[in-house]
Amino acid sequence: MRTITYAEAIREALIEEMKRDPSVILYGEDVANFGGIFRITAGLKDMFGDERVFDTPISENALVGGGVGAALAGLRPVVELQFADFLFTAGDEVVLKAGMWRYGHGGAYKIPLVVRCPSGAAGVGPEHGQCPEAFFMHAPGLKIVSPSNPADAKGLLKTAIRDDNPVLYFEHKLLYATRGEVPEGEDFTVPFGKAAIAREGDDLTLVAISAMVPKALTVAERLAAEGHSVEVIDPRSLVPFDRETIIESVRKTGKIVVAEESYKTLGVGAEIGAMLMEEALEYLDRPLRRVAIPDVPIPTAAILEAFVLPNEEKIYQACRELLS
Amino acid sequence: MDNKLKLDIYRKMLLSRRLEERIAELIKAGQAGGFMHPGVGQEALQVAAIATLRPDDYLLYAHRGVAYWVARGIPIEKILCDLAGKEGGTNRGKGGVMRVVYPELGVLGESGTLGGCFPIAAGAGLSIKVKGEDKVVLCFFGDGTSNRGTFHEAMNLSAVRKLPVVFVCENNGWAVSMPTERSTAVKDISARAAGYNIPGKTVDGNDPEAVYDAVKEAVERARKGLGPSLVEGKTYRLWGHWIGDPENYRSREEVEKHWRRDPLPRFEQKLLGEKVLTEKIKAEFEAETRATLDKAVEFVRKQPFPKPETALEDVFSESSAG
Repeated sequence: MRTITYAEAIREALIEEMKRDPSVILYGEDVANFGGIFRITAGLKDMFGDERVFDTPISENALVGGGVGAALAGLRPVVELQFADFLFTAGDEVVLKAGMWRYGHGGAYKIPLVVRCPSGAAGVGPEHGQCPEAFFMHAPGLKIVSPSNPADAKGLLKTAIRDDNPVLYFEHKLLYATRGEVPEGEDFTVPFGKAAIAREGDDLTLVAISAMVPKALTVAERLAAEGHSVEVIDPRSLVPFDRETIIESVRKTGKIVVAEESYKTLGVGAEIGAMLMEEALEYLDRPLRRVAIPDVPIPTAAILEAFVLPNEEKIYQACRELLS
Repeated sequence: MDNKLKLDIYRKMLLSRRLEERIAELIKAGQAGGFMHPGVGQEALQVAAIATLRPDDYLLYAHRGVAYWVARGIPIEKILCDLAGKEGGTNRGKGGVMRVVYPELGVLGESGTLGGCFPIAAGAGLSIKVKGEDKVVLCFFGDGTSNRGTFHEAMNLSAVRKLPVVFVCENNGWAVSMPTERSTAVKDISARAAGYNIPGKTVDGNDPEAVYDAVKEAVERARKGLGPSLVEGKTYRLWGHWIGDPENYRSREEVEKHWRRDPLPRFEQKLLGEKVLTEKIKAEFEAETRATLDKAVEFVRKQPFPKPETALEDVFSESSAG
């Protein structure tokens, strides 16, 4: 199979879905003439015209709220935020409008909206470098996906665009250049709510999210060389969340480490821990370990950022501790 | 405005007034809860503006009163079921009387947070433009809400994309307890249109004909693809912010002065003077209104409450385009 980058996979998904369905539109800051600050949408305006692909003013509330309004009136908007952090700028429109309009109006309307959110620390500091998925997992009415590789990036985005609900699509900035095999053709999609077992193993379950997945696979390789069989699970979609795959894995391994680029308190790992307490405590023979950002904002200088971010060594140490 | 339309507007203003009086009675008698913000005194503005719409246009109403729904033709019993949190309303008990919704008539619903309406209106306008339709969006808001940041973002976006949205400000002088002159740097909200290079016009919001003419012009402009407009109607909130508001922030003299400008008797006198309305027609309208309300209230009394477990429904749609 051909290999393409994560960024190309996102672009391909957008093009395929825009060709497939004339109600799909795409807008955001600098997406049309410039092609997006991460160059994902380069050339799309020429392919689909200024009505369907256009630049907007710096107005995040109007972008996301406008997406809700356009969805109510029958379009399937894809809104690009320049950084996932700007979800907070548009907080009302994300949480109270996208997440609650359907419910508050008794299911009278569907809201097929995708908000693309470039996430992840990349030397850009506290307000441009977060992976804020966990904040929005707490908010009812939003679906949340975080692909870790090019194939999932394409397949999950196509599913997101076709879904009749608001979806926050987190694309990690440091994954854009990574390559992988990606199926061609319009029919390829990846379902929500189904975790991927990125590597099978029997001794320890390592759940990794987004950019933590390639790091987890490297750690698993290193531990294999030391005689430990690690199962790496990539949840892929955080809402809906595939609990069964994790519970089944823990039933086998009895040990679990969660690696994520969220803050530790009430992060994805906290939810997984609570879920295991409720549903699978008897399978655990060691306590859960979380590798996450200590509860500080993300600093800008590389040496400070590296200190707070999860990395392969921290994931390795957490696994070693449980395997000893 | 022809005589038929005048009478229709009058009849809907009357029905709205009587419906709110009935709702106030129900709330005071403990027979309805609800998060009801009365719109008594603002009916002329609401009914006349909505009279400019086609059935396939979109409407985002504001939180003050019932006249928007009456004007749009939403059945009264459905409004009352939403108020009472019973089955048979428009939103299955999820949104109360603040989120009456009616897709068949383009009623998109309401934002619980003030100012949430502006981006939604711009987005609906975007959809119209992308699909090449000739519909318009009518978006109501209060003078206080014009101070939200979303007002600025959505006005500017609508202007630069030439979206078919008509923003109608109900300037009633008060944002709960805050008078407009202390909250808002401009005297006329319509002056803000200049910041977006769009038409802005202020009219007497208690004069249905003035409102109709101004909004009609803006709607026709939007329908032709010429972009958004801002129309402000000066009016007054004759009742409190909610049923039971002690209103300790404004003088009785001020309120009494405005009761003398009450749009309902004013329009009634005008139509009687023009012989468009007669005492006989007026009596018929009153009787019809009373019968409609009696029937609706009786219907609601008999309606069941929703099953508690339906609270878990309507979060996500199960459908997809895949």
